[in-house]
Amino acid sequence: MAIPARRIDTLQTVELAEGIEIHLRVAGPYLRFLAWFIDLLSKGALIAVYALLIGMTGPVFGDNVASGFFLLGYFLIVWFYHVLFEVSKSGATLGKKAMGLRVVNEAGGPVTMGQSMIRNFIRFFEMIIPIVPFLAFFHPRFQRLGDLAAGTLVVYSRARLDPMMPGPTSLNSVPVNITLTREEEAAILAFRDRSGGWSQGRQAELGNHLVSITGMDDTKGVNQVLGMANWLEARR
Amino acid sequence: MNRQEFEQKNSAEWQTFEVELKSVDKNEDLSSAASIPSKFRKICYDLSLAQYRMFGARICDRLNTLAIQGYRSIHRSKGAFGEGFLIFFLRTFPQAFRRDWKLFVVSSFIFWVPFFLMWWSAHREIAWIQSLLGPESMNSLEGMYGKNANTVEHLRQEHGSNFEMFAHYIQNNVGIDFQLYGGGILFGLGTIFYLFFNGLHIGATVGYIDYAGDPEKLWRFVAGHSSFELLGMIVVGMAGLRLGFSLVAPGNYPRGKALARAGRRSLPLLLGGASMTTFAAVIEGFWSAQPITASTKYFVGIIFWVLHLLYFTVVGRRGYGA
Repeated sequence: MAIPARRIDTLQTVELAEGIEIHLRVAGPYLRFLAWFIDLLSKGALIAVYALLIGMTGPVFGDNVASGFFLLGYFLIVWFYHVLFEVSKSGATLGKKAMGLRVVNEAGGPVTMGQSMIRNFIRFFEMIIPIVPFLAFFHPRFQRLGDLAAGTLVVYSRARLDPMMPGPTSLNSVPVNITLTREEEAAILAFRDRSGGWSQGRQAELGNHLVSITGMDDTKGVNQVLGMANWLEARR
Repeated sequence: MNRQEFEQKNSAEWQTFEVELKSVDKNEDLSSAASIPSKFRKICYDLSLAQYRMFGARICDRLNTLAIQGYRSIHRSKGAFGEGFLIFFLRTFPQAFRRDWKLFVVSSFIFWVPFFLMWWSAHREIAWIQSLLGPESMNSLEGMYGKNANTVEHLRQEHGSNFEMFAHYIQNNVGIDFQLYGGGILFGLGTIFYLFFNGLHIGATVGYIDYAGDPEKLWRFVAGHSSFELLGMIVVGMAGLRLGFSLVAPGNYPRGKALARAGRRSLPLLLGGASMTTFAAVIEGFWSAQPITASTKYFVGIIFWVLHLLYFTVVGRRGYGA
């Protein structure tokens, strides 16, 4: 798999049949681990509640029937808890809902029953060697083995946590004398769109990376960068 | 057109799309459903424009979210369940089986070789079977299939015990199928282990009853469901081996890609094999222990084996694969 070049964000680009590129915000292993742990607890709780219910209604049906119902319910919870939640409209188990995640296919669409079965049945065996699920850290899209086999991703379903805060509008317009790549232009524009949320020190720290083209550092440098953003935008 | 003009001109449209999409998704108001695709195309167009002209993260994020929501809504599959079911069993599943027939040979070997070895060892050296089964299971086997034991038919007279056993077979056997499949991810070793171990264990059971009990009681019980249960397990074994082989020998693909291909290819085998095991549980729960003459049971059992042979060789030869 091609390793994407270093970028200014963790967005994953997917091209759709509609001829557009969408960006998926792929979730990292830490939140997914928490979601898994919540699911583990909820499965345990479900089984306990179900056993209690069966225990109370058991005498009505007779012991054999009751124990049959318990076995069927146990089977469903153990093997299909994740699957049934993931194919539902929300695309998320209780743990994933709590963490603001959802499971999607590689084009960002809803997963099928089969895909969900593959990714969840494989997890039981990834857990045998507990390091294996954490190998997802090294994958550019944080896919574990089950995700790779099923062709699925876990993405954020909630809006991004850090709202965009554009910096103060700069009045000057500073021409850029060198040719920038699109990615570099995007970085300068993103700097303007997000700098309002940063402290002055942080702004200066980031602005100083551009000393070679602004020729100034710290606050002056930051103003130069903001001016460049103005110039870049006015030019198009 | 600069960013402000672009946003002013289109933002009302985006707003309408978002509201209409939400109400269509919730089945509240379907009057706008027909116009969703064309509005979705407009969103796609706006998104690519905004991305190309770098109109900034705020606009691009908003359009990106709308495009994802629209895509999800338009591509949600709501195929007819019955039709999909028929196509799967009349075409997809037998075709997938034939495409991977070599894996069937491998999977069968891993199961049947230890099975027959254990059975055969009953007549040579019973200690092997004794050490594998342990005193407890030997005791319970003698209770069910021993020379003086009550028949299984008799044990199942109690109210609801057929249902209980059905549930037990679902929980146990279909669960083993899923483990067989998932175990494929350990380079196929998990699948091989479960197949081999099941072969050993079932072979030892048959061998022990042949040696110490009344084998006719066993044959009468297992005849009906044997084909579904054993073939179902072997077919799921094929699916697990397909996963494992993709990691051991990925061919011309990187391992991640090979695994993704194997996942897609193994899915019909997993679903089909697990369905067979589920059906085996129905037979085992509600038919196998019925007080019916042995010859009828053998006849039904043989018919099922022949039907399986026909199903996997003949069904779905015509027509395109899924």
